[in-house]
Amino acid sequence: MPIRFVNIHKAFGPKVVLQGVDLEVADGECFFIIGASGVGKSVLIKHLIGLLRPDEGDIFLGEEEVSRLDERALYPVRMKCAMVFQSSTLFDSMTCAENVALPLRKHRGMSMKEAIDDARRRLEKVHMQDFADAYPAALGDGMRKRVAIARALTLDPEYVLFDEPTTSLDPVSARRTDELIRRLCDEFGVTSIVVSHDLVSIFSIADRIAMLYKGTVRLLGTPEEFRNTEDPIVQQFIQGRAEGPMEV
Amino acid sequence: MGAPAAPVGVLLALPQRVGAFLLALATQIGGVTILLGQILRRLNPARIDRHELFRNLNRMGVRSVPIISATAAFTGGIMVVQAAPFVEQFNAKGFIGWAATFTTFRELGPLLIGLIFNGRVGANNTAELGTMQVTDQVDALRALAIDPIAYLVVPRVLAMISMMVVLTILGDAIALGGAMLTADLLLDVDPRIFWASAIERLETWDFFVGLIKSLLFGVMIALMSCYYGLATRGGAPGVGRAVNASVVASAAGVFIADYFSTFVLD
Repeated sequence: MPIRFVNIHKAFGPKVVLQGVDLEVADGECFFIIGASGVGKSVLIKHLIGLLRPDEGDIFLGEEEVSRLDERALYPVRMKCAMVFQSSTLFDSMTCAENVALPLRKHRGMSMKEAIDDARRRLEKVHMQDFADAYPAALGDGMRKRVAIARALTLDPEYVLFDEPTTSLDPVSARRTDELIRRLCDEFGVTSIVVSHDLVSIFSIADRIAMLYKGTVRLLGTPEEFRNTEDPIVQQFIQGRAEGPMEV
Repeated sequence: MGAPAAPVGVLLALPQRVGAFLLALATQIGGVTILLGQILRRLNPARIDRHELFRNLNRMGVRSVPIISATAAFTGGIMVVQAAPFVEQFNAKGFIGWAATFTTFRELGPLLIGLIFNGRVGANNTAELGTMQVTDQVDALRALAIDPIAYLVVPRVLAMISMMVVLTILGDAIALGGAMLTADLLLDVDPRIFWASAIERLETWDFFVGLIKSLLFGVMIALMSCYYGLATRGGAPGVGRAVNASVVASAAGVFIADYFSTFVLD
């Protein structure tokens, strides 16, 4: 089922962030949202699971309009649409295994022991099995992010929102994460929306890319279309040039 | 033209401040009331995360035992030290047991343990929830389709209220032990006389008044600490402000609840 953002507007007090964003993400697609810091990429994807509400506009997950659902009605949406936050957001008071086990306990009805055993197996898939009993505070950013990915995938979601999944990862871990995201789309049909600044990720695994600029979609297209565009703002961004027409 | 503006500005400053204070107060009272409603809704039917409840009972209750015990023991002793000159002056050694027990059960036990509990457990709870709020951990729970009120708040509130009562009973017993020992050492009051005096004059209700008060204080501390924790904004400084506001509001709430409950329960 596709995801559709229709004319999304969002402001925080006087600061207008989104000014009419229209996007459609197809089933099983690996869709990247790029743009300068503060342009509203994370804000946009948080709307999809109701962590933020649009001031105007509609969001459809398949046929269901999700932006007007109340908190309780959003739980089924969140169970099929997982999110990996930019800052990992692991629970500090729990070990890595307990973090991953939590959704299993709460939604799969597993006992603590069953959930922990399952969590250890899931941590193996992100190469974190040796740190199952460690607390998040003892881990580096990249390791925390891998645990957060394992936790987000516990409920076998149909959609996954990744907020800068490779930021702060070493290059090897970053590419492994790219592979994982791509595999989720190819093998399991998971629809992924990835907010990223990582040009290697963007041009190696994205099916399509949307660039946000000044609250709207500046360009929507395939990686090839992005490479070939003559839009100076898009070119400045994807080439990472300091000088150019882009206002930040 | 500019001269008259200053007095007007000064005149407006006071009502502005009063208005801002009343607005903030109304926001906080409203917020705590809404939180209470949300908690009560999740208790019917009760779906409590037992793992989280036991974790909180342990860290909020069991780990508070040393500080509560030390405070209670010294409080009991201090009561007798303060009363000693008058007891000797009026030869009232036969009353010291009753006086210490009555004061501990009705007032000092729940009040002092409430304030210590507020400083140790309430502040810690606000800091933890506040840190979770500003680091998006609360949003992460919501994203995992886990209700933060049911998972985070309800077990903490239940643990705080129940542990406040249990710690008050324990604290009362230890305070009386401290009082009895001090009375024996300082006033040469035999422990048997101390207890006989207490049992002869004390009513069961005196003990329950203290427990009812401790229950009220527990509710107050639990609600305030959770409300200020979840309302935290603005990073690490925001957590500091939330803890400060929580401790002050809870302490004020404890004294206000103490004042009115003393009238009602008498």
